Amino acid sequence: MKQQQKNSPNKIEKITRKEVIKKIVRYGKYATLTALGTYLILNPQKAQAQSPGGPTGF
Amino acid sequence: MSKKQKLIFKPLEEKTITWFKNSNEYLIFENTTADILERLSKGITVKNIAIGLSKKINVPFEKAVDFISNLKKEVYDPNHEERREIRNGYKNIKKPKVYEFVKFYKINDIVFKVSYLNENELSYIHPKFAHLSIDAVANYQNEFEVFINNNFIFLYVNRNCIGSWSYNDVHYFQGKFSMELIQKIHQKKENEWLGVFHASAVSNGEKAILFLGDSGNGKSTSLAILQATGLTCLADDFVPIDVKKQEVYSFPASISIKKNSLETLLPMYPELENSAEYHFTRLNKIVRYLQPNNNDFFAHLPCNDLVFIKYEKDADIFCHKITKIDAFQQLVPDSWLSPIEKNAKIFLDWFVGLNCYQITYSNNHKMIQAVSKIFNNDL
Repeated sequence: MKQQQKNSPNKIEKITRKEVIKKIVRYGKYATLTALGTYLILNPQKAQAQSPGGPTGF
Repeated sequence: MSKKQKLIFKPLEEKTITWFKNSNEYLIFENTTADILERLSKGITVKNIAIGLSKKINVPFEKAVDFISNLKKEVYDPNHEERREIRNGYKNIKKPKVYEFVKFYKINDIVFKVSYLNENELSYIHPKFAHLSIDAVANYQNEFEVFINNNFIFLYVNRNCIGSWSYNDVHYFQGKFSMELIQKIHQKKENEWLGVFHASAVSNGEKAILFLGDSGNGKSTSLAILQATGLTCLADDFVPIDVKKQEVYSFPASISIKKNSLETLLPMYPELENSAEYHFTRLNKIVRYLQPNNNDFFAHLPCNDLVFIKYEKDADIFCHKITKIDAFQQLVPDSWLSPIEKNAKIFLDWFVGLNCYQITYSNNHKMIQAVSKIFNNDL
């Protein structure tokens, strides 16, 4: 299951998130396990990049 | 046969950042979960880990086994798909014999000859470096060649093919061009760089501050405003950090100024009035380029502060520390980070020592004051 993470409530300013939050499995009444199985994946850029700019198409 | 998973663990603010070598991904776990992964990586069996976990968090043994097995299958086992290669084929294509545009750029005492097949190729690179142009010279240290063939843009450096990219990946071509440039300027190979951040870097001559934030938040405009106060622009849009000392290195490109910032910046930089305007229609972006005030492109300085900056009309000044975990989540997806294990460890060690702030502003003077406080460790 993938979803975009919501901003944490203690943040005053909204920051756009680019990472993915994942849950391994939902464990019903064992909420601790569900919490332990929730994690964030952060992927760096595949290569060095510049902000896009230049003409449209080759 | 799958490669053995190699992990690096870094505790930070009640969580643990875990780096996965096989995919160069950074995952953020609860500490207990990271501890389980560490035990798995030491070869401890699922059952043995489950005994401890079921006691620690008071869940049935079989639930603990199930949880750890799932964690192992979904996270630990290196079953991630290989990341898509950006570079494409056509390596043996013939280089053009004649280039329509040949430019010479002088960066400190190093001269680069860059040949562009025609105007299209020129327009992807030249505007950002035009301020470094000199007249043609016979002696130069490096030769770059840029040409489009078969719908791919090619980059050669000193007669070696660096790669070719499709139009959709043209920002990676521009990034590689910049990477090759800094390698030649600073005499460091790719494995000697910790990462390249999508940021602006400003210095007071002793240290650097990085400004980060999504496109359109005002990184470059803030940099231009700060440069007008006498601070030095080290880099805009492309900020390299080295492995050896974890310092921010100068990058000589111009500052990209969007049309909606002109009104603010024209009183500080009258030269912008008549500078060339570039229309990037696909991106709905109109920009002019402002020359950085840096006169030493060999400069490199330590950096202890990251600032997530945002210009917001009518906003009161907001300047506070933010959690490092928040900052990390912002920083990583926008950055190129070295996939080398030793470098990933150095990056994590460097990051946890930083101060991270957020500034939201509409009043330039108040933003300048806030940045000054950060430079003076006064916030």
